[in-house]
Amino acid sequence: MKKRVAIIGTVGLPANYGGFETLAEHIVENLSQDYDMTVYCSGKRYPKEERKNVYKNAKLKYVPLEANGIQSIFYDTLSILHAIFFSDVLLVLGVAGAWILPFVKLFTNRKIIISIDGIEWKRDKWNILAKWYLFWAEGLAVKYSHIDISDNEAIQDYTAMRYGSLSRIIEYGADHTIKVNPKKADREEYPFLHKPYAFKVCRIEPENNVHNVLQAFSELPNYTLVMVGNWNNSEYGIEVRAKYQQFQNIIMLDPIYDQEKLDLLRGNAFVYIHGHSAGGTNPSLVEAMYLGLPIITYGVSYNKVTTENHALYFKTAEQLKDIVKNVRIHQLEAIGNKMKEVAQRRYTWHLIVQKYKALIVEALSVKEKQNINYNTAEIGYNQLLDMNMGHLKNQEAFYTKR
Amino acid sequence: MENFIISLSLSILITLVLTPVLRKVALAVRLVDKPNQRKVHQSAVPLIGGVAIFIATVLGSFIANSTWNNLDVVKILILGAFVLLVVGVIDDKMNIRASIKLLIQLLLAHYVFTNGILISSFYGVFGIYELPLFLQYILTLLVITGCINAFNLMDGIDGLAAGLAVVALSLFAYLAYSLGNDFLLFLYISLIGSLIGFLRFNLSKKQKIFMGDAGSLFLGYILVVSGIYMIQMAEATAISQLPFTLSVVIGVLALPVIDSLRVYRSRIKNGYSPFKADKSHLHHLVLLLGIQHKYSSLLIVVISLIIVVLNILFGSFFGVTYSLGSVLLFFIIITSILRINQDVKKWREEIRKLEEG
Repeated sequence: MKKRVAIIGTVGLPANYGGFETLAEHIVENLSQDYDMTVYCSGKRYPKEERKNVYKNAKLKYVPLEANGIQSIFYDTLSILHAIFFSDVLLVLGVAGAWILPFVKLFTNRKIIISIDGIEWKRDKWNILAKWYLFWAEGLAVKYSHIDISDNEAIQDYTAMRYGSLSRIIEYGADHTIKVNPKKADREEYPFLHKPYAFKVCRIEPENNVHNVLQAFSELPNYTLVMVGNWNNSEYGIEVRAKYQQFQNIIMLDPIYDQEKLDLLRGNAFVYIHGHSAGGTNPSLVEAMYLGLPIITYGVSYNKVTTENHALYFKTAEQLKDIVKNVRIHQLEAIGNKMKEVAQRRYTWHLIVQKYKALIVEALSVKEKQNINYNTAEIGYNQLLDMNMGHLKNQEAFYTKR
Repeated sequence: MENFIISLSLSILITLVLTPVLRKVALAVRLVDKPNQRKVHQSAVPLIGGVAIFIATVLGSFIANSTWNNLDVVKILILGAFVLLVVGVIDDKMNIRASIKLLIQLLLAHYVFTNGILISSFYGVFGIYELPLFLQYILTLLVITGCINAFNLMDGIDGLAAGLAVVALSLFAYLAYSLGNDFLLFLYISLIGSLIGFLRFNLSKKQKIFMGDAGSLFLGYILVVSGIYMIQMAEATAISQLPFTLSVVIGVLALPVIDSLRVYRSRIKNGYSPFKADKSHLHHLVLLLGIQHKYSSLLIVVISLIIVVLNILFGSFFGVTYSLGSVLLFFIIITSILRINQDVKKWREEIRKLEEG
């Protein structure tokens, strides 16, 4: 009999939303032959007439709650409670429902794989109570899962430092993006396609450094910037849009939900600007890399790891301005090629799904959670000295960078 | 009734008049608290709050109360408080060794015990009642010194020890009133008045003073000894009031005591002496919420009040064991949340370094 796997914590399938949903879609596509899969979906996002019982060979279950915001706690909890009766492995994406994992681990023999998804408790969008909860829940998620997943090497360092857990790194795929050549109609709709332009797409939030990027380009009248985002969603968005719309070289577009159109705009950009500072590997960055775009990105460890330190990095508007002004075309070409090479090696869905499959196989046989301690840590110091191996007592963990 | 008002206003007045004078004296003889890495204030602050409170209380309660029917407790409370005041002043000036302070407190507790103020029973906690004499002795000494030190540790930010004491004394005043003990009632009321006068300076910016160890030690002493005394009174003369009296006395002392035990435990766990000063007290955790000192104090006083109410409610419905359990649980929940807040701050900093790397 096929082992049963539940995917919990996404908005649902078919995927219309962010990184986790796309991930779930690819997992289902590739693994539903080998496993009996169930995906939990938000009833709020899929009206009754759109719902399916089976999608790409996976069962869909609808929970009548939102998958994001405060309701995600109950959404994930209900999904987990349902899944422990019908599944062998629970693949939980996000930590919102983690408060219940101690009970699941204590009273059932279900295997739990949890993806902690960046460092959610640190993000500006949460109020203090939510931050406290998420901080606590992250700890439970790591302690009471059989395997935990980080989407970035820098996050793996963090979980090792805080919990002593050996987190597995699985990033995102990007090969669903395609290079679209502009047609005549496209050029008419978006006249900026005629000339080189820099491109950025993101949620309009301070932690994505929207204001810094706009400030830099407002001082660079000869360089065109096209930025796509939900400008009207927040005070911050309305404010920065009002402040910078007078500049001829800055084009601010409303959100584009048509994947092909988005691929058209970013695929033909001269350079991609990535301002995300929040934790983890950002799907939008790996997608831009897969399109072979030269990347100029905010200089935090997450982005450096994602781009293998071969992109260009800025911290302030001033630095970004200097980079744009001084960079040479052949340099940008080389960066674009390097990005493409990295993305083809690391960010394909085939590879990502194989990594998940390996974890499912491992979870089904695992007894104890792996930690970062060396095996020699269990041997007493005197015993080590007797064997002339006293030096093994002082080993540094992998996150100690030298 | 008039006498109460006289007593209250007299003690307020005396502190208000006396403090500016004592302040100058303290600055002249350098009886001040100098800022250091662990302390939260920035310039030297006179440590004469305790002396002012003591003088105002004694004068306030003695002048207003003309009936001297219970000199035994007077003697024990005032004498003990005076000893601790002197010890505290010396400690504030030149730091006495912790072991000597403890020894003096134990001697005082012994003196209290031999004068018949003692804990003779477990009052049903874990189903235990009457205790053998040597256990009564040990328990009384342990509780008295424990509470004095616990209250001493509470005196970490502006208005906290005094605020807690005002709440505790108000409840005690009600107990003394319903038990019909006028002397205690007057003592409590003048103490409340003196503390109000003290808070006026303690919370001010220009004329700031601290109560010092002198103040916190003798306040803790009066609270715990008179609390035990009222429990005994209820037991002897008004048995129907015993559960309520117990709940109030335990309730007002619970927060300082549990917090001091928590701090000792974590110090021992980390391999330090339980008396090594650090920044792990409840008020340090509350300050990390990023609110002003006086609001931090207010929050802790409110937490203490909730504990008293919990203790009274659970005590009357489920008995003393469960009410202690509920108080402990409530305290653990509060400190867990505060610890999470502290860890969030700590890890935010760690992650910032990681992100730079």
